[in-house]
Amino acid sequence: MPSLRRPWTRLVGKEWRELLASRAWWVMIFLVGPLVGVSFISAVRRYAEASGLGGTSAGVGQAFSPLDGIWVPTFVAYEIAATFLLPFVAIRLVASDRRSGALKLEVQHPMSPLSRVAAKALVLFAGWGLAGIPAVAAGILWKGYGGSTYGPELASVVAGCLLNAGLTIALAAAVASIVENPSTAAILVLSFTVGTWVLGFIASVRGGLSERIAGFTPEAMSDVFQHGLIPLGTALAVLILIAIGLGVAALWTRLGVSARRRAFESAGVVAAGCALVAACTLFHSSWDVSEDRRHSFPEADQKALAGIKGPLSIEVHLAPEDPRRSDLERQALSKLRRVMPSVRVRYVSATSIGIFEQANTGYGEVWYDLGGRRTMSRMTTEEAVLETIYGLAGVTPPQETEPSFAGHPLVARPRGAAVIFYGLWPALVAGLALLVSRRKR
Amino acid sequence: MHETSGRLDDRSRPTIVTVTGLAKTYGSVVALDNIAFAVRRGEILGLIGPNGAGKTTLFECLAGVQAADKGAVAFGDGHETACRGDVLFYLPDGIAPWPHQSVAWGLRFFLDFFGGRQDLYEEVVGRLDIKPLVSQRIGDLSQGQRKRAMLAMALLTPQPVLLIDEPFEGLDLRQSRETAKTLRWDASLGRTLFVSIHQISDAGRICDRFVLLSGGHVCGEGTAAELASLAGNRPGFAAPADFEEIFLALT
Repeated sequence: MPSLRRPWTRLVGKEWRELLASRAWWVMIFLVGPLVGVSFISAVRRYAEASGLGGTSAGVGQAFSPLDGIWVPTFVAYEIAATFLLPFVAIRLVASDRRSGALKLEVQHPMSPLSRVAAKALVLFAGWGLAGIPAVAAGILWKGYGGSTYGPELASVVAGCLLNAGLTIALAAAVASIVENPSTAAILVLSFTVGTWVLGFIASVRGGLSERIAGFTPEAMSDVFQHGLIPLGTALAVLILIAIGLGVAALWTRLGVSARRRAFESAGVVAAGCALVAACTLFHSSWDVSEDRRHSFPEADQKALAGIKGPLSIEVHLAPEDPRRSDLERQALSKLRRVMPSVRVRYVSATSIGIFEQANTGYGEVWYDLGGRRTMSRMTTEEAVLETIYGLAGVTPPQETEPSFAGHPLVARPRGAAVIFYGLWPALVAGLALLVSRRKR
Repeated sequence: MHETSGRLDDRSRPTIVTVTGLAKTYGSVVALDNIAFAVRRGEILGLIGPNGAGKTTLFECLAGVQAADKGAVAFGDGHETACRGDVLFYLPDGIAPWPHQSVAWGLRFFLDFFGGRQDLYEEVVGRLDIKPLVSQRIGDLSQGQRKRAMLAMALLTPQPVLLIDEPFEGLDLRQSRETAKTLRWDASLGRTLFVSIHQISDAGRICDRFVLLSGGHVCGEGTAAELASLAGNRPGFAAPADFEEIFLALT
């Protein structure tokens, strides 16, 4: 039996050549530069204005973080590319083998279908990695302007971007393997994306289970990572979803197995994967890698809260679309869950927007129950929530010793960025595309 | 009758592929029905049948690139069983794989990916006159050029049985003759060839034995003489004179 390592390496090489021959990939690479450029240049300008440029009061930018001011807007370009460009690249790479007849030849090799799909996925990831060069250029420019960069939070943004791309690649590979026609595959993938947006909208209106499911959509996942939080459960769930997509793609490349059996096996993989994703919700660990520790209470409060015994449950009488509810969730409850994983939060509301519930006597109340001791508050700020919990637990609030995040204001113009993103990058990509095309002849 | 010199009709040759009860339907259309025959080691077996007879479906089911509904395919001589991928390689008709890559790359890929026969490279390329094409993209080739390039790739594979769907499709008369010679040369090296052909004259020129397929059924299996004898027993077809009449009598 010959070693399968060399054929797999050859297959990866073949997939790489096919990617280089793909116009869809070159178009994506070409467009990513200007997309990143638009985002980065406008972000730098806004950051400079908020930091005092052009007459803005000095000190406004004191709490500014490059994460919010520069990196999140810049990486929006990659969300757009992952949503509207990457699926076509992935579908092209997967579907072309079927359409050209190459798959009928390749499946005759004893290599496992998963190895074949893994070769494609690896190459697509590498291709996506090359699309990241404009982001690297943006980082170098930012440092050149004298901007501050906090490695862990930037790594979190990049990780979110990679996981998002992984989800897109896995979904596109699965759909392109199942349906014969690439156009149909593209429509289905885009429909799925639109479906996740609809789910996100429903979740914001209704809350509850839809809100929990919406937490695993690429958009929601990216949003969490872009804000410097790495939740273990979400990261694992996304990796499982990627594995499901690639697994289904592998099942459907087995041309010699009946479509009925492949459908049953796919359903089994999806069901098992969903069970694992559900199990991932049991993991509550997360890492706050933001420089300003926005997902955590001050260290002294973290220690004090960790020392509180007894089950804490909170009942919130606020509608899903009530801004007070999102304030409470973002400023206090999400942080509380990280330090007290056993805390139970229950939202109660009769409507989604809450306007017509305002007159109800109980609306707006937040009830706290710690080991049978109950109290109510209507405040939704971090300080008020902590004070209420300390009061219930009979704990003296700790002294605040941690200096508040000072921010990194920077007044700088995006010098040279336009030349790089709108001129050099497109010219470089077009030149390389031409060179590769000619060399193959 | 066509020339038969050097052909193999030795019944004592061991079988290398045995097909029994193979069936395949597409919805209500029966493509293959209870197909049974054997491929003997070292022979050139022709799968003959009109368009729509089920030849490609049969090949794809044998090669495992399409699922059969029923039936069994055994590889080996009955004493030793083997895996499909170790025994046979199937070259489909009408494919244009990796259209952006060059023929040279395709040949190299076959050698490296399928563990092909490096020692045959120059011989195969020379016999099929591929040298002028090696730098061209596969997608830019004409139908005949692509057929020759694909045949060259298939001939480099190491499997002892090679299934080729319509090896002469798109070739002119001279190329067909050269290709037939090349296939016979490959068989002389010990390879078993199973080729599907819808042109009876081409089939008669190259094959040692035949499987006649019509409407998803096997209508006959054997050498030209055996099929002639079988056809002679049919009313109105006493002693057919050539292979085309034999084919018409049996299908």
